[in-house]
Amino acid sequence: MSKIIAAAAIRGAHACMDRAERMLADAVGRLGRDAQVGFEGTAYALPTILALTGRRVERLRDLEDAVAEAHGWIPSVPTDSTWLPYLGGTLDAGAATLVAHETVESLKPLGGIPLVSGFWLGPTPDSILREQGIKLVDGRMPGFAACVGALPDDETAEQIARDLQERNILVFMGSHTNGDTMAAQLNRRGVQMNWETFLVPYGPDTSSLVHAIGFACRAAMTFGGLKPGGLKEARDILLYNKRRVFAFALALGEVDDEKYATAAGAINFGFPVIADTDIPQILPSGICTYEHVVSNVPHKSMAARAVEVRGVKIRTVDIPIPVRHGPAFEGERVRKEDLAIEFGGKYTRAFEYLTSRPMDRIEDGLIRVVGPEIADAPEGGRLPLAIFIEVAGRKMQSEFESILERHVHSFLSEPMGVMHLGQRDSVWLRISRKARDAGFRISHLGTVLVHKLKNDFPAIVDKVQVTLFTDAADVDALYPTATAAYAYRDERMGALTDEAVDTFYSCALCQSYAPNHICIITPERLGLCGAYNWLDGKAAFEMNPHGGNQPVRKGEVVDPVLGQWKGVNDFVSTASNGAFERFSAYSMITDPMTSCGCFECIACVLPGTSGIMIVDREYPGQTPVGMTFSSLAELTGGGQQTPGFIGMGTLYVLSRQFLSGDGGLARLVWTTTKVKERLGDKLRARCSEIGHPDLYEKIADETVCTDLEPLIEHLAAVEHPALGLGEMI
Amino acid sequence: MTLTVKPKTWPGAIREVTLGAGSRQGLTIGGGKGLPLHTFEAAFPRRPLLALEITDVDPPRWVDTVRAPWDGALGRPDVAAKRAVEEYGADVVMLHLVGTHPDRGDRSPAEAVEATRQVLDAVGVPLIVKGPGGGSRQNDVLVRVAEECRGEGLVLHSAAQEDYKSLAAVTVAYGHVLVAESPIDLNIAKQLNILLSDANVDMDRVLIDPMTGGLGYGLEYSYSVMQRIRLAALGGDRMLNAPVICLVGEEAWKAKEVKVDGTPAAVWGDRARRGVQWEIATALPLLEAGADLLVLRHPEALAEVRRVVDGWFVAGS
Ligand code: SF4
Repeated sequence: MSKIIAAAAIRGAHACMDRAERMLADAVGRLGRDAQVGFEGTAYALPTILALTGRRVERLRDLEDAVAEAHGWIPSVPTDSTWLPYLGGTLDAGAATLVAHETVESLKPLGGIPLVSGFWLGPTPDSILREQGIKLVDGRMPGFAACVGALPDDETAEQIARDLQERNILVFMGSHTNGDTMAAQLNRRGVQMNWETFLVPYGPDTSSLVHAIGFACRAAMTFGGLKPGGLKEARDILLYNKRRVFAFALALGEVDDEKYATAAGAINFGFPVIADTDIPQILPSGICTYEHVVSNVPHKSMAARAVEVRGVKIRTVDIPIPVRHGPAFEGERVRKEDLAIEFGGKYTRAFEYLTSRPMDRIEDGLIRVVGPEIADAPEGGRLPLAIFIEVAGRKMQSEFESILERHVHSFLSEPMGVMHLGQRDSVWLRISRKARDAGFRISHLGTVLVHKLKNDFPAIVDKVQVTLFTDAADVDALYPTATAAYAYRDERMGALTDEAVDTFYSCALCQSYAPNHICIITPERLGLCGAYNWLDGKAAFEMNPHGGNQPVRKGEVVDPVLGQWKGVNDFVSTASNGAFERFSAYSMITDPMTSCGCFECIACVLPGTSGIMIVDREYPGQTPVGMTFSSLAELTGGGQQTPGFIGMGTLYVLSRQFLSGDGGLARLVWTTTKVKERLGDKLRARCSEIGHPDLYEKIADETVCTDLEPLIEHLAAVEHPALGLGEMI
Repeated sequence: MTLTVKPKTWPGAIREVTLGAGSRQGLTIGGGKGLPLHTFEAAFPRRPLLALEITDVDPPRWVDTVRAPWDGALGRPDVAAKRAVEEYGADVVMLHLVGTHPDRGDRSPAEAVEATRQVLDAVGVPLIVKGPGGGSRQNDVLVRVAEECRGEGLVLHSAAQEDYKSLAAVTVAYGHVLVAESPIDLNIAKQLNILLSDANVDMDRVLIDPMTGGLGYGLEYSYSVMQRIRLAALGGDRMLNAPVICLVGEEAWKAKEVKVDGTPAAVWGDRARRGVQWEIATALPLLEAGADLLVLRHPEALAEVRRVVDGWFVAGS
């Protein structure tokens, strides 16, 4: 912590405490120790003091005890020769300052100074707390801002207030700068200030800001069920606020010692300080979720910056586009006759590319169309398109780029009258006339992406900016960067092997209907539904640590050929409630993984062929094992280990570890044309890699035969390599 | 040859949750230490409770055969509550605030509070209050009821994964019990409970509603997810060991088979009787799967289920 801040805060704490003690002594002198003290309309006595000390102050004698305790928290001002540690002492001084502030505020009425006067509202009664505090706790209100001081002019004051209101953030105002206050500035602009407008002026003194803290403490005690008591209880209350009440302080104008001291108090609650002046910054996080003090923030971006620093997540319910949208419109086609404009397909170059950036490189919500807009193109015309999405997030990792990018398809399919097909550089996008006539523009594609990415991935995406290039020169200029990124990602995925990582991911999403089933997803074996690979598992855990995807440490190798690890076996045993003790990642014979019911394909051993067959879910006919997919599914599914039968994702066939414990790809003797076509050249390449370049042709499919006898003949005729491997069981 | 049964002991047990407080006569459910009805090997200190459902307004969707026993009480929650408890012998009453649904009367949160008060004044048993269903209206209504009926230990039905924070907050603040509802999905049931305990809700104040499918309409899914939840709970999973509540009446009386008359259905026998049977046939398997609290609609179904439960638990409490 900056020594300058520490020294100032500790000085300020002493000053505030002196004043509180003087006022208290004066009140006791005039009214006696038994005189009652407290705020109106609350059952929490003096709430901040209650939360921090566990003392329920009702009379001046109680207040004396509380003040004496808090005074003991303040360290002496660090001298030039002392260096460390400041942090603990400064925070304690901050907490003491809050006690001093609440003391001062509570004594004001006893000295004839009303807390409520003019537009100043004074402390908040419990009835309002119950109505408004719950909104902070349940997330309807993303947070509150305590505005300290005043802005350079009335107009800026209104702008800041509006910026915060727009984000649904509750605004508390208190203290002053050079004799002016933000509330007075708003008042001069004719702005309504009350609990309905979320603009709440507490009082002109710095001490009045303690009412914001009292509000937060009461929210924790009421809705968090936290009981005040000693230090531990105080800590719980502070932590509750840090985690749920997304509040921050805006330090407006010069920051004096008392304001520093108050800020130190707020930091105890995890509420950071955003300043418009050049005060020393305290960036590394520790108490607050992210930074503690961020300075020199321009007024224009103050609200946005504050939201970012506090980690406030704002969800938009309605995406501001002129057409209806939702998953219901996802499958909708835009036909040629209804076409306003189209991009890509086989006509123009169109691609989408998402990349991550550092937080400060992105202007959140910025959407630009560079090149012609929809109105500039002829009816039914065609344009090239580059959808360039830049995201930033504190928890964003470059590995997640492809996952987010993959969602562009469903996002852009959701607006009514927009058709999106393909991905990466095979995009085909159409906008219908109806959508265009309703006011839909190319820029609205950006609007959808910004909102959807932030709403659906709040844990990893904090900021999004989208650029839509519709000019051939720009599109071509960006294209090499995009293709390089696609290639890099593919290469990374290819290099991601089971040996290279120490953690796999589990998926328990199917346990609801297949009790005890659990998928273990490794870089080289995707989930059997085909919808979840290792990266998805990793991202899902990052986004939702309590969800169905949990990290599984591999631990010691139990059997490298079968693909068994101690960590995996332990996990499986717990997750299956003891039903299974061992899982092989690479074998369908020894301890195979269980299968739920949503497998893309089934692989099963074909006795007499030394090989296996793979049948996909959509294949309706007979197979050489004498069963259709659906009868096989009954045998395979249900979350049991059935040696010789597994459910699998189609892409697993291409993995280096495809049943490597049982002989690998060379075992594949029969599959459906659909599987062969889907894997196509990649399967050919794998065949070559394992030293059987002509294997692809040797694998039979339903056009060759659907019975076992002719299959055995076929295998002999083509000299299928499986024949040389020996029977599997 | 004699058959010796080796009793199975489990590391976990179902939590005990007390419904009703304040002016209510509190009742406790849960506490089972073994698989449902395995009374030969485990202790079951509490038998399942049976509730009857009443509504704030006349529920237009109820079929005539289930309306009959409530004649004169539909839409009069105080009268219905008295009848449910005093005449029909319900342990608990569930007030379903159907009328607060925007499309079924759009009654205000204040009116919902009024209806709840009437029931609280009319009877002394614990009260389940069910909102109009998902979304912001559900919260507006239940939050107000929770606040105004502080300390009554109401069972608030229900919080869901997408939207649990408001009800979690009022459960904590005003001393109620919260039903955590999940769509026949064990993972969501568990996750929601983790989220609730993260929001400082005491797990001793939570019930799981795994979502009920009526007979012929997904009952087997509910059955198997409950089984799974129970196995995990007994295995020691402290996020899944809450007692389970099932809304039986609502689902059973939705079935086409209880509604149709005439030729195709003629062979199915008397329609009124059929509805009651349907409700009973939905309720019993759920009890076998471990339900701790059943909400029924027809008093005859309640009487029959009661008779069976009493038979099962002769050795019980
Ligand atoms: S099949 Fe897919 S969704 Fe189901 S558990 Fe496995 S990975 Fe998860």
